[in-house]
Amino acid sequence: MTEILHPGAGVLFMKVGTHADEPLDEIIKRKRREIQEAGYALWGYGGGTCHPLTAVQPFVRDFERRGSTVYLLMQPMVSRHLAVTERATQFSADGIVWQPIPKPINVIGSRYAFAINELKNEEFDLSLATTRVAAGISRGKPGDQYVKGRVDKACLEISDPVDPNAHDQAAVHIGFVARFVEPFAVIVK
Amino acid sequence: MWWFLEQVTSAIMPEAPFDIRAAVNAISDVVQNRPRPLREFDQIYMKAGDMVLQSDLIAHWANGKKLAFIGDGDAISVCVTYLHARKIIPYGPTRVAVFDFDERICNAIARFADSERLGLLSTVHYNVLDALNSREEFDCFYTNPPWGASNEGESVKVFIQRGMEAVRYKGDGVVVIGDDPELEWTQRVLVKTQEFALQSGYYVQRLMPQLHVYHLDDAPELQSCNLMLRALPNNRPPGPSEDIRDPSRLENFYGRDAPPRVRYVREKLRLDYGKANENEYELELWAEDR
Repeated sequence: MTEILHPGAGVLFMKVGTHADEPLDEIIKRKRREIQEAGYALWGYGGGTCHPLTAVQPFVRDFERRGSTVYLLMQPMVSRHLAVTERATQFSADGIVWQPIPKPINVIGSRYAFAINELKNEEFDLSLATTRVAAGISRGKPGDQYVKGRVDKACLEISDPVDPNAHDQAAVHIGFVARFVEPFAVIVK
Repeated sequence: MWWFLEQVTSAIMPEAPFDIRAAVNAISDVVQNRPRPLREFDQIYMKAGDMVLQSDLIAHWANGKKLAFIGDGDAISVCVTYLHARKIIPYGPTRVAVFDFDERICNAIARFADSERLGLLSTVHYNVLDALNSREEFDCFYTNPPWGASNEGESVKVFIQRGMEAVRYKGDGVVVIGDDPELEWTQRVLVKTQEFALQSGYYVQRLMPQLHVYHLDDAPELQSCNLMLRALPNNRPPGPSEDIRDPSRLENFYGRDAPPRVRYVREKLRLDYGKANENEYELELWAEDR
């Protein structure tokens, strides 16, 4: 955990739960199988935050250039997401060149996807108050003020030291951690 | 917010009362006609209430003048022209041209202008990185460019430069850019923009802070301001308009490490334009024995 949560570290925070009628534990199993068979998984997402090309890719690349690894931190939550169950068949890292999605990988009901591997169970708290938005037009905004309402994911930088003993109302409980692999995030269709 | 906007509006345009219902309905016609925004190109649409007040303001500011829009996803150009043509507001420009790289936007404006007989409104399919070789000379320009969060305002400068070229460095301009006291980058971009204006022979005539909000999932409270620029007397163009290809100006144009690769967005023509797209739905019929 301390390896991840230190000042200057980059993390991509995301709430996860039932998606397109599929419970979270089933999604996790399926994604691990994809990693085993294809070497990586594509974790679908949507919404207007964390655009693959203008937010996620430059954000992760910037930290990697500085020799730092960006982790995807997932907060399990109860949700009743009932999106379309259509499987995407192609992905693109630049919105111009499209490739078929490898057979073992299934992205369902999403417009974008994170490219990840090493999907692990890890239990710890993340204080959003110790983070700041690190990409896009809200760059610099405190994480706890940004992640609210319809905003359920964010490219964040840990800005302050974490006090594991502090009682923190802005803390969220992380249940799963994954590592990004090139090209970090893609558009799917 | 409304109170503040009304104060600002009435301070600038004391003689400008208009039928708010008719104005909102007219703006609704325009909004209905806009193509959906492409976020990867920073197409982020202003909310309808702010469009009403902004259109009124711009129509008054450009009254009797030839107005060039350097990019216009919001469709303020259409609103300004339409409100005046429908006599909802008694002032407006005599000519409006929209320069935009998105053919969907150009065609949507052209279709609306055609159906509503807005003869003074036209479009030019144009990318701001190409030299602006318009033979037509304009009196004033308007731009709401990519706000430059990741490029210290460089994208803003490119759009302003084309606006200044459209008015031959003589006419006034309105620049709409991010203005949020809690976001440092907006303040840095405001400084860089004003520096660029001064270097170009312009000065800030007025800054109307925190006026507009946008359809933004991740930043619904992010606001923009109107930065109103005026050319110094006897200001002259620094030279002919040229293509902009300098990588240092472009490397973060649409966000960090996101240089422009797309010259034009082309519209895929549809037969069901303006109606629900056929791939959005299918019909399920009543059973025969009903």
